[in-house]
Amino acid sequence: MSRADQHTRQQIADLVEACAGYWELRGVALESSAQMQLELEQHLQQAVSDGKSLEAVLGPNPAAFAEAWAREMRPRVFRGGAKVLRGLVYALSVVSSSALLSQLLARSPAFTFTLFGAYLLIGSGLLALLIQLGGFLAPRINKRAGREALVLAGVVLAVLVLRLAGLQVNWSTPLLSWGWPVTIVLLALAAFLFSLTCWRSSHREPLLTVSESWSALRTVTTFVASVGVFDIVMFFSSVAVVDFCRLALRLV
Amino acid sequence: MLVETRSTQLLKGTLDMCLLATIAQRPCYGYEMVQQLAQQGLDLVSEGSIYPLLSRLQHLGYIDGYLVASRDGPQRKYYHLLPAGAKQLEQWQAEWEVFARAVERILKGARSDEQS
Repeated sequence: MSRADQHTRQQIADLVEACAGYWELRGVALESSAQMQLELEQHLQQAVSDGKSLEAVLGPNPAAFAEAWAREMRPRVFRGGAKVLRGLVYALSVVSSSALLSQLLARSPAFTFTLFGAYLLIGSGLLALLIQLGGFLAPRINKRAGREALVLAGVVLAVLVLRLAGLQVNWSTPLLSWGWPVTIVLLALAAFLFSLTCWRSSHREPLLTVSESWSALRTVTTFVASVGVFDIVMFFSSVAVVDFCRLALRLV
Repeated sequence: MLVETRSTQLLKGTLDMCLLATIAQRPCYGYEMVQQLAQQGLDLVSEGSIYPLLSRLQHLGYIDGYLVASRDGPQRKYYHLLPAGAKQLEQWQAEWEVFARAVERILKGARSDEQS
């Protein structure tokens, strides 16, 4: 494969990724978005192999193309509702499962939700949003790695500015503390809301070829794995950051 | 900035009907439709403009999509006509013929006026 071919393939991949990010923001269901990406990628590849330009397929403004297609997908009365619900389910699952794990592993009667936990939860939500927005807000940075590096640099800069401004934060400050009954209620609520989102997506976007049960199983597995990974990351990062802060304070 | 030609504007208004007619001939995928339109002399300014229309036709219940395994690579999405689509196509064709005849009569009238 020549360098020009590689460059074009990369351009196609970046364009499809940017469109996918935009469709996700516009509330297009993941199953539909996956098929749209498949169609777009194949069309672009075939067009390029026939000697056409990418502009011949997408027109002069790829964002307008992505918007036009998103508009034709099932219109929703309140598009933001599904996003808010999904975010709420995720946050609730992370908090309740980490509470469950902490009470099971540490055998403590209560779970303490610290400032660091809240920071990590809100920060990761903002990060996910910024990375998606970066697709069209920063057209010069067309690679996900570049956008992640930009967001990371922004966070580091913000922390440095806050540190220079004299802000001192005690990350282990407990914000909330609760026992088993609340943990069980939160878990039940997260499970209920998750079932609700699954039911909504299965009723709004009927699948064409993939069997529904397999897709539902895949969605549940991906979600549980994602929450598990987040819990582990939060656990290790909180230990590391709190230890680091303590060490830094001792040295100072 | 692209300057839209008259044929581009005409095609925009009739592209959904052309797509429906293309799919009515036999099930096909997006790129195939563009090629068939081009063979008939209809070149799209941006080929991707067919996809929002295909989604609209699908949501209206005129066509349906299905994935087919491809020998060359990943699956391909083919579209086929539904009974409601066939009925709609008949109606659009009838409307188009009336419209085209009217335009033709006007143009012929203009030409004969010029000659006389």
